[in-house]
Amino acid sequence: MNRSFGQFYPVASALHTLDPRAKILATALLVLGLFLVDSVAGLALVAATVMALVAASHVPPVTFLRTLRPVAFIVVLTVLFQILFSREGETLFAWGILEVHAGGLRLGLFLGIRILLLVSAAALLTATTAPLALSDGLEDLLSPLKKLRFPAHEVAMMMSIALRFIPTLQEETQKITKAQAARGADFSEGGPLSRVRATIPILIPLTVGAFRRADDLAEAMESRGYRGGEGRTRYRELRFRPRDAIALAVTALVLAGAALL
Amino acid sequence: MRLELRDIRHIYSPGAPFEIEALRGVSLAVEPGEVLGILGGTGSGKSTLVQHMNLLLEPTSGDVLVDGADAATLKKSELRRRVGLVFQFPEAALFAPTVAEDVAFAPRRLGLDEDEVERRVTESLKLLGAEHLKDRSPFALSGGEQRRVAIAGVLAMGPEVLVLDEPASGLDPAAREDLLRLIRTLHNTGTSVVLVSHDTDEVAEVADRICVLEKGEVRAIGSPSEVFYTNPEFAPATVQAVAALGEAAWNAGRPVRFDETLRALAQLMEG
Repeated sequence: MNRSFGQFYPVASALHTLDPRAKILATALLVLGLFLVDSVAGLALVAATVMALVAASHVPPVTFLRTLRPVAFIVVLTVLFQILFSREGETLFAWGILEVHAGGLRLGLFLGIRILLLVSAAALLTATTAPLALSDGLEDLLSPLKKLRFPAHEVAMMMSIALRFIPTLQEETQKITKAQAARGADFSEGGPLSRVRATIPILIPLTVGAFRRADDLAEAMESRGYRGGEGRTRYRELRFRPRDAIALAVTALVLAGAALL
Repeated sequence: MRLELRDIRHIYSPGAPFEIEALRGVSLAVEPGEVLGILGGTGSGKSTLVQHMNLLLEPTSGDVLVDGADAATLKKSELRRRVGLVFQFPEAALFAPTVAEDVAFAPRRLGLDEDEVERRVTESLKLLGAEHLKDRSPFALSGGEQRRVAIAGVLAMGPEVLVLDEPASGLDPAAREDLLRLIRTLHNTGTSVVLVSHDTDEVAEVADRICVLEKGEVRAIGSPSEVFYTNPEFAPATVQAVAALGEAAWNAGRPVRFDETLRALAQLMEG
């Protein structure tokens, strides 16, 4: 069993018991605030806070880092682009058309660290919050927009369904890959183009299967009387306690401090 | 060819807290030209076992031998051509715009010329009674038709051993009969067949030998009459009926298949 990005990690910790609304708001604050932080000391403060939170979440650090792996590629690519194509500041290094400038280096590294912290915060949110609690929290936060006819419940439901089906689709992918391998498919030979072509026999059945699953799910929900958010009650009521407020306030303070540093 | 598994163990997620030992030292052989039935309940390790037959899964320990030689030394593509594996619900992997294209996938991967590919597509579709579907989209077929097309897609490689994992699950009785008829046809042409199932009646009708798997171990292996009459708890209805009548009280032998049992019972009533 492989833990994937965005998967809930069910252990007991202080972070797990926080109100999902507080956690969502704190994460949103962090994501926005990160772009106001523009100093080494500030980034270090945020990084230290995120690391402390990971430690407090009781998710084993190695497991946590492993869930970030899929994002690593994007981070590396972004950093490289920034470093190679930004021509700010003095030239540190030049080789043919490749030039590395001090400003570009700084920009690239800052951006990389920002993305990593951002993704870590999001991963921490989903690792410590059960999908159901997450969508309930999101629905509550979005509910003021219902006055503007924004379908808050539906959006939250779609999100929780998407999260719920990530592991299912992974399993399905594995099954189909094996079935095609049994028919002689090879996903590791040839150039990039033929490798992309080799994924067609996997992607098509996967898509067809996903649509079928969606149909089945819709039918199952309808047959159990589901008819959207209007007048729906909850089995677990969310309660915003003082500690949730404190957690949120501390996050805001840390970010304000980091932005000023 | 003779396919032999020697003391196969398989552990999922070794070292992790949720590691599972799915196979605990399984040894068995698929003799050339035979129909081997593998019986076992859910979680017995059937599906894990069959994936070792073409090394889609590598054993944690133990060997897979093809005609006495280590299968790991064969080219993967060669091994997968010779041991055709049809997964449970194989129709989930159909992908091409037409049935003929889908069945042609495997033979094309073998690098055969187009004439030969077409010959194989026609032949394997005919074996499954599905040649009239060849220009249809696989996604517009009924579940039973899709199942046939998916099996044809593996048969088109011309495997020497065909492994079928629960091929009849979810099929109606008529389609199941057709499937058993296909297994008999393949048997007559010298192809070995491994039929994996939890349905004893189905396996009893076609198997030359039976292997019973339980919790990742071989519980019994041998001829159907031997295995079923010594382990009546997982015997088919025919054997249970004979056992209930008192096998010793009559000397009609040990019938297993339906028509054998019918004949024995008819004799009993006459005598």
